[in-house]
Amino acid sequence: MTGWRDGGLDPGNSVIGQSCPRVDGVSKVKGKTLFAADLNINGALYCRVLRSQVPNAILRSVDCSEALKVPGVVAVYTAADIPGENRVGIIVKDEPVLVEDRIRRAGDALALVVGRTEEALEEAVRKIQIDYQSQPGVFSVMEAMGEGAPAVHGENNIQSATSIVRGDADAAVSGARVVVTRRYTTQMAEHAYLEPEAGLAAVEDGVIKVWVSTQNPHYDRREISRMLGVGRHRVRVTQAPTGGGFGGKLDISVQCLLALAAFKTGRPVKMVYRREESFVASPKRHPYIIDYTSACDAEGRLLAVKIKIIGDTGAYASYGPATLKRAAVHAAGPYAVPNALIESYCVYTNNPTAGAMRGFGVPQMAFAHEAQMDLLAEALGIDPFTIRLRNCLKPGDITVTGQCLSHSVGIKETIEKARDRAMELGMLGKPAKNYGVGVGCMWYGIGNTGAPNPAGAFLDLLEDGTVVVLTGCADIGQGSDMVLAQIAAEELGVNIENVYVLSGDTGVSPDAGATSASRQTYVSGNAVYSAARQVKEILAREAREILGSGDANLDFRSGFVWRGGKKTEVTVKEIISGCGKKGILTLGSGCFNPPATGLNAEGQGMPYATYSYATQVAEVKVDTETGKVAVIRLVAAHDVGRAINPQSVEGQIEGGCLMGMGYALLEEVNLSGGVIENPRLAEYLLPMSLDAPEIHPVIVEEPESTGPFGAKGVGEPALIPTAAAIANAISKALGIRFCSLPVTPEKILAALEKRDGYLIQSAESTQQRR
Amino acid sequence: MVEMKPFKIISKVNGSTVELGVNPGRRLIDILREDLGLTGTKEGCGEGECGACTVLINGRPVNACLVLAPEMNGKEIITIEGLTPEDELHPIQEAFLEAGAVQCGFCTPGMILTAKALLDKNSDPDEKAVKTAISGNLCRCTGYVKIVAAIRLAAAKLAAREGSI
Ligand code: FES
Ligand code: FES
Repeated sequence: MTGWRDGGLDPGNSVIGQSCPRVDGVSKVKGKTLFAADLNINGALYCRVLRSQVPNAILRSVDCSEALKVPGVVAVYTAADIPGENRVGIIVKDEPVLVEDRIRRAGDALALVVGRTEEALEEAVRKIQIDYQSQPGVFSVMEAMGEGAPAVHGENNIQSATSIVRGDADAAVSGARVVVTRRYTTQMAEHAYLEPEAGLAAVEDGVIKVWVSTQNPHYDRREISRMLGVGRHRVRVTQAPTGGGFGGKLDISVQCLLALAAFKTGRPVKMVYRREESFVASPKRHPYIIDYTSACDAEGRLLAVKIKIIGDTGAYASYGPATLKRAAVHAAGPYAVPNALIESYCVYTNNPTAGAMRGFGVPQMAFAHEAQMDLLAEALGIDPFTIRLRNCLKPGDITVTGQCLSHSVGIKETIEKARDRAMELGMLGKPAKNYGVGVGCMWYGIGNTGAPNPAGAFLDLLEDGTVVVLTGCADIGQGSDMVLAQIAAEELGVNIENVYVLSGDTGVSPDAGATSASRQTYVSGNAVYSAARQVKEILAREAREILGSGDANLDFRSGFVWRGGKKTEVTVKEIISGCGKKGILTLGSGCFNPPATGLNAEGQGMPYATYSYATQVAEVKVDTETGKVAVIRLVAAHDVGRAINPQSVEGQIEGGCLMGMGYALLEEVNLSGGVIENPRLAEYLLPMSLDAPEIHPVIVEEPESTGPFGAKGVGEPALIPTAAAIANAISKALGIRFCSLPVTPEKILAALEKRDGYLIQSAESTQQRR
Repeated sequence: MVEMKPFKIISKVNGSTVELGVNPGRRLIDILREDLGLTGTKEGCGEGECGACTVLINGRPVNACLVLAPEMNGKEIITIEGLTPEDELHPIQEAFLEAGAVQCGFCTPGMILTAKALLDKNSDPDEKAVKTAISGNLCRCTGYVKIVAAIRLAAAKLAAREGSI
């Protein structure tokens, strides 16, 4: 093993753009990967939580005396046993680890039982006596925002609000040729990652160690340390291989409970959610109510949008405030709109908590803005691609938040490429009964909205040319370890096999923030890139001395130093050993915080450093007897800046498309008085293999100059326009506009029944002036 | 769970004979994971809906979360750990890696065993046959595209291997 990648400097030798196989692949196909539920420490105790069945109540007392008598039970803990602060939350600390006096949702944790066997725990949980007094709850946002509604927290159920004002939307609407107004509603959805939440904890040498399925180990450490009232250095959170997250493993699940039990008992403890508990306890995708008005001129050019968004965040804020802020910023879609009036509200209710889920509030908006684009196009008799091309953002355009987009604006190219591919496939222009093709476009800001979200990384180039990268970035299955390895390998000219990425362990790796907001390739990728550059600079300094060549441009390839694009006789090994002799270590550290600014009171600012763009085209056939929709083909063109690993970009697109299809047609968390009625995979329908359409990913690369090798992100964009495209296709197939997700067979059959007399063009709220 | 008299089981797990005295109310998945340390068999739902716990019983794919201990008596069980010797990859495993069919990997062991059962019966399945075979195995990450491609690639690999013998 030479350590060095063969070949010279020409692009053909680059590892960027190569579909390198994932490092964790072999263990995964062999079944050797130890997920959190597979970990064990001899003598570990088990934990189980008693959860509230009622959504709103005053908790008077929790009597554990009978439970403690059950043989095999070691301890039962309640809120009174928490040594530090009993409040967690990524944005607002409003959620108790164990409820002390007020139950706010069905599923709130009331007591934690620790014991030797699952059987003992089950019995003990049944024997805990709860004394509570039910209170009237609020289960809809309209009710929650109404006068005199019972407050879930504090005085008022409006948790936060965002407003964006640009130009004069009212004036522009009144002078417009076409004005379309609709209300859109979307459902609550579940992530349904295949691996339920799980973890293991132990106290070793005074350090509380937690191994857990998570998307953000450094956040977990902060919450555990606050809850236990111990220094952060005394908590070590190690991300176990994680069986999917999609945003649902960003919040605290088992982390604090496990840490509390280990801390109190001094014994190793283990906890695994059952599927039903995962449903009941984890955050969901926000249901939105969106009132949307769009106005355009006679050519279909957008003049103004007026949008009001209300999101039900349930009992706790979780990522709600950020989700609704992001919804407002993205509400107008990837289009240049000179006048905008947008408000969004994040509202507390006694429903299950809604937080982050792939797309972060934007899939809802895409469903709405893409329906609006089709309605405008239909009113003017223009083609859906044409109206989008006419309005899409171009370099130099200004967004609704006043941000000037200077470069890497690939929306136009995604529309053209998606259209061309759909054409090639013969999807376009073949009218058939109950058959339709729909278009969905989206944009997505990479990283947190107008807030700092830095990532750090350490890199160590070892004597033999192998590299260790330490990063807090949690790989939840999407393959960030591999992407980061490729970035390090490229910069240092080493073989990809010789890069070891150790990720997501607060004991050794710097904070990289959450694996969310499609940010890790861009943000952690940049951190690793700059750590690698630092090491490269150290090598270059030494090499210049050996070569006696001032400040020539040096590179490192195939184990040699290259000067001005030409190979020299000096090997990189000589350089490293030269450094060693002088006592210089080839170590680097990097950190990156996307350049962005917060939004002012008018919603103006530069909320993201860069945006990804996409266009998807869906082809559907509707069975008018059963109301069932078959999605036949999906074309998905995504501007990712640069595809570091094309196979994994495709994997993200394909997975996102199918999840988006589930969101469009099947998935819905049904509630009755705040209680989930379908908390099982038998009742919550996920797309299966037989439902899966043909998916045609098209990778578009509009390089982002601030991204590592030009890369942006793709994880969430993959899903965002899918439901929009499918819903538009159904509307084309039937001539009926569906404004509520999911578009179920029941909704289709009901709409078909009253189709007579229902004409899109004459619908009351589409006005045309001549 | 009610304590019951231990039930004596003799079965073959991954080629070795296993003798156990177990509570007859216990599930096969727990015996594999807890008693035999075969944690490659995953639990995604515990009620037969996800297929993450798929193992082969006498060559047929079965959800180990739905099988009770006595039903394993006298049977031959293959888990992901038993598909190939320790340091080898089965052509299906190779194909999953090459096709990029693995993301989080939680569905992977069950998918691979289901694929094995399919390819043992049908050496050249078309797309529909593959999709039908894995319809009881959920994957939330991949959209199934690369999994279907991997299984068809595995069929080709196996056929090539046959041909070369
Ligand atoms: S765990 Fe057995 S089918 Fe899901
Ligand atoms: S790879 Fe994650 S569930 Fe299939």
